Amino acid sequence: MNVPAIVCRGVGKSFGGTPVLRELSLVVPTGELLGLVGPNGAGKSTLLRTLVGLVGRDSGAVAVLGLDPGRDPVAVTRRACYLPGETGVYLQMTGAEFLAFASGFHPRRDAARERRLADAFELPLRRKVRGYSAGMKQKLALLATLAPDVDLYLLDEPDRALDASVRLLLRDELRAMKALGKTIVLSSHHLSEVETLADRLVFFWQGALLADDEIAAARAQLRRRPRVRLRPGAALPAGARELRREPDGTLVVETDADPMTWLRGVPDGAVECAEIGVPRLDDLYDALFAAKARGGRT
Amino acid sequence: MIAGKTWREVRWMALAYLVILEALCVPVLLLWPDIYEDLQRSTLFKNLGIDFAKRILQGVTDKDEQIAYTNWAAVMLFFRSTNLVCVAAAVLFGTGLFARERENQTFEFLLSRPVGRGAILWQKTWPTALCLVLPIFLVNLSAIFWSRRIELDLPLAELLLGSAHAGAFVLFFLAATTLLSVLLRTQAHVAAAIGAFAVLQIGVYLTQRLRPYSLFKLADFEWYGPLLNGNVSARQMFDPLHGPGYTTWLLLAAAACYALCLRALRKATP
Repeated sequence: MNVPAIVCRGVGKSFGGTPVLRELSLVVPTGELLGLVGPNGAGKSTLLRTLVGLVGRDSGAVAVLGLDPGRDPVAVTRRACYLPGETGVYLQMTGAEFLAFASGFHPRRDAARERRLADAFELPLRRKVRGYSAGMKQKLALLATLAPDVDLYLLDEPDRALDASVRLLLRDELRAMKALGKTIVLSSHHLSEVETLADRLVFFWQGALLADDEIAAARAQLRRRPRVRLRPGAALPAGARELRREPDGTLVVETDADPMTWLRGVPDGAVECAEIGVPRLDDLYDALFAAKARGGRT
Repeated sequence: MIAGKTWREVRWMALAYLVILEALCVPVLLLWPDIYEDLQRSTLFKNLGIDFAKRILQGVTDKDEQIAYTNWAAVMLFFRSTNLVCVAAAVLFGTGLFARERENQTFEFLLSRPVGRGAILWQKTWPTALCLVLPIFLVNLSAIFWSRRIELDLPLAELLLGSAHAGAFVLFFLAATTLLSVLLRTQAHVAAAIGAFAVLQIGVYLTQRLRPYSLFKLADFEWYGPLLNGNVSARQMFDPLHGPGYTTWLLLAAAACYALCLRALRKATP
């Protein structure tokens, strides 16, 4: 039987009396690419640190690749590579020295992947890291994390400070790694990219995962919020109210009935185009978190 | 891996430290004949109210020039160089060991490598300790060569014992600095804390009534003078049951600091 790559049961962690993880339970099957989504301070980074034993949990149980990171973090990190969210790189080293240093701790390296990424990232590996830009440092840290051939990759905002073309490249590489059976957990604030990349998303709010029914309710609500572009001069037909107007003039509306039913009843020529269907992640994120943040609800 | 990285970080500082120690050693030894003559004529120290300075003066103006020269070496090589340059080097080397990792945001990266925290501490400590202690032996042994240039001798065995004690003394400072480097978040805070501790200890040493309670009492002329003159045995240095055992106490204090370091490092979060 395939052992899940990660199992968390009722994990709790507080810093100075402030709960950061609250009764968090999560199972990540081997080979899954899981996206962690949530606002800053929701507990995503603390969870990733807990998974590699950098932070000890106060309660609950954690198994990473069948091992307890609280008891044997070295055994876990031998088989799992972790990219910290705000990682630094050794400025006095050259890029090549840093790579050799970072991957030297792991018994196996995927030389082909390392070469492919190094070429694609166009890093001046012979230069001292001191002269690198923020994006180059992030690429180097990423390269050092992805070069070892391990079973699990935990990436805390891997796309931080990366431009769009590198993010696309990273997406392709992570897909290729997933195809090789690697398990990948990543957190990111680039919602559209997580959405297209991840097999599954989990939503964090104040140290806990949002319940599936809450997400389902938000999705159902969003399904009744089509995006429509009205012809010039046309008024919004009855049965819907405007929620917001986007810069390109597209309206996000909420319909009283099913949006398809509403659209069928709209007079000809009033709507130029409409988008109905699976809600976008950024809309879902907004529905789940923005209202909570505004209302201070938990 | 980590030891190699540590070595690359400290090697140039270690070389500079060796050169400074040697540069401080050579002139004071080669100029000894003139210094001895001047000291014997001088009345400056005779009216000193500070008793340890008087004892130093008595030691370096002994009628037997060989004894006077050995005392001079004890003052210059150990009391001065060890207590000033070597302690300063220990602070300089130790300050950044962990605090610099925090400042550069590499601490989390380092702790997430598949290597235990005890191994991280050990691999950062031993190259640093070696770079700190080895120059003490090298410079003090070179003093034998320089002494022959002025037709005087320094005893090899006693120099080695003195170097071992000096090594233990600076190791304690390195261990204390390393502990602070684990506990505090910036190098500036570490340097300020250990610097304040050293200044306080010097102040205590210079206060006659408090002197027995100063750490520098364990490495002053009254320890190194008799040691270099062959009046303190290795057993008295290392065995607290048969002598003061200062060297062992220093090593135990350093070991205690490292145990606390390990404990703090195991609890440390990024």
